[in-house]
Amino acid sequence: MAVEAQAAPARLRRHLRLDLGTPGLLGLPLGWLVVFFLVPIGIVGAYSIDAYSIYPGRHPLTLVGWHDLLHSGVYLRLFWKSVKMSLIVSALVVLLAYPVAYYLALSGTKRKYVLLLILIAPFLTSYLLRVLAWKVILGSQGVVNTFFFWVGLRSPDHPVSQLLYSRFAVMLVLAYIWLPFVALPIFVSLESLDRRLLEAASDLGASRWQAFRRVTLPLSMPGVIAAFLFVFIPTVGEFVTPSLVGGTSGYMYGNQITDLFGTGFPDWRTGSVLALFLLGVVAVLTAVFARFLQVRQVATG
Amino acid sequence: MVDDNDLTGRRLSRDDFLKLSAVAGGAALLGGRTSPAEAARARLAKESGRLQVLDWAGYEVKPLWAPYLKKYPGQAPKFTFMTNEANALAKMHAGFKPDVVRPYVGYVRDFANSGFVQPWDPSLISNFKYLNPVMVKAGQVGGKQYGIPADWGFDAILYRTDKVKPKARSWSLLFDDRYAGKIAWFDDLNQLVWAGYYLGFKQPYNQTDAELKRSQKLLISKKHLVRLFWSSETDMDNAFASGDLWIAYAWPNDWVIMKSKGLKVVYMHPKEGPLSWIGMLMLGKGTSRYQHAHAFADAWSSVESATWLENNYGYGEANTRARPKSSDLLRVLQLTNPNAVSEPNAHIDRYVPRRQVYAKLWEEVKAA
Repeated sequence: MAVEAQAAPARLRRHLRLDLGTPGLLGLPLGWLVVFFLVPIGIVGAYSIDAYSIYPGRHPLTLVGWHDLLHSGVYLRLFWKSVKMSLIVSALVVLLAYPVAYYLALSGTKRKYVLLLILIAPFLTSYLLRVLAWKVILGSQGVVNTFFFWVGLRSPDHPVSQLLYSRFAVMLVLAYIWLPFVALPIFVSLESLDRRLLEAASDLGASRWQAFRRVTLPLSMPGVIAAFLFVFIPTVGEFVTPSLVGGTSGYMYGNQITDLFGTGFPDWRTGSVLALFLLGVVAVLTAVFARFLQVRQVATG
Repeated sequence: MVDDNDLTGRRLSRDDFLKLSAVAGGAALLGGRTSPAEAARARLAKESGRLQVLDWAGYEVKPLWAPYLKKYPGQAPKFTFMTNEANALAKMHAGFKPDVVRPYVGYVRDFANSGFVQPWDPSLISNFKYLNPVMVKAGQVGGKQYGIPADWGFDAILYRTDKVKPKARSWSLLFDDRYAGKIAWFDDLNQLVWAGYYLGFKQPYNQTDAELKRSQKLLISKKHLVRLFWSSETDMDNAFASGDLWIAYAWPNDWVIMKSKGLKVVYMHPKEGPLSWIGMLMLGKGTSRYQHAHAFADAWSSVESATWLENNYGYGEANTRARPKSSDLLRVLQLTNPNAVSEPNAHIDRYVPRRQVYAKLWEEVKAA
């Protein structure tokens, strides 16, 4: 009896601890999410319909900003241009990063973590510095053009001018910046690959190419898609790189948002509309990709 | 109550002493409840905090307001930076209260109407009498001196003479097909203004909807020739110096910089007229540092500061007695012409009644 009597409060305590533990653990991240994500989005939403305004006085609620976005075509075209640039960068970077990650994960080299560290070493320097360094490389008197002058491909009077301040420059620099970041998720998915599956494929007569196509690639797809999203989501709203190396033709949707909010004449209503539209599209795309990711995992799991 | 140490610990300038005496005398005459000495101390102590200046990056350097520091030793102003006028206004709407703010002349009326600024008392600015009268007038709203003119310059065209042979002395050089990819425009809504002057409109700062559409159409149709819309002057200067640009919408100091780098450059005033701009120091409404703010404006207006600005930044200064070392700069700023910034020589930047419409159309040019 005495033992039972002692056990009961102990169980109760454990229950209580569990009951209090869950909200305690979730409370902070949830609170963080609400305060620093949902509330700001709500505020941006309020600006987009003039419920808030940076201009004094009373403003009637309006959907003019949304109407303009959907009907003017200018901003949608710019958005589509940014999406295309971002898709090209993401695809290119995944294609470039895959062989690197494949080599690191499956070649059996003992120094794979050292090599991985070297790969991500540029992350240890400032983002801005890495972008600015490209100005030195791509300018009319930059490293690339100087090389062309030296080998006689171009005369100093006619440098290749489209290297800098162009759409090409933006995509090149973005690809450079995101490459190491993309190699990581692919590396992780390849590293966790069950090698016995490859042995089984080989035993069943599959060539190395077939084993790669039918086993390795499908199983690494979650990593590839995650890597793709890692690049696509931030680059579609990118504004630092295009403002430094993009010039007129490399101007992206993200630049338009920053200009509307602060750099140029402030138009927070239009800026908020553009920002929310970007958020919405990215959220939908992420949901679609995530769904696809799950389906693949189920299919291959 | 004021801490006695506060006052005794500070060196009083002659001006301070005179002001103190005047305040003390006035207070004694009025015979209020507070003693004259206390009132005087309170007044000075009230103003003893650091002056809050909302200004452009680069204007915080000491030589530009050194006389202020001489007058109030150890009380360097606290600078906050603005990126553009509309943004500064938004900051002030949000509750920021600078003692001094510097919009450019086109925004003087916007600021005056905003209720966040008040007129200056020119009698407290000893150098006021030396300021260019045209610029002084441009700082007035309703006959009151809301803006004390300071730095000024032009918006015109900088080009390399070894690469570019203009067909005409015109704004059209900014969209000359022969130099596609070597041209820079300024990232500002006043691009619609020069387009308006080029198209021969009567009031480019106040275009009708149809005119604005035409200006915008011109800019969009020529945008493909433009390599850069610059917002940072340093970026543009670097691109120009490295040969990425041959033609740019620029300020006179950019011409000085390129010349100093050994480039063959001309600063061309188009026949349609360049635009001109003047920085206007404005006084925060209800500032608790009224005397300090006036001393700051006085320091900026001094020959000493003005000459330093001209020599080091290549901008003009409203003090007509200031002369730069460089005869080139003297020529390009037309410093001997007191009407350099005004009609018919140049189109002084001014209030744009439909600025928001202009801004929206300019953003569309960039996005197009």
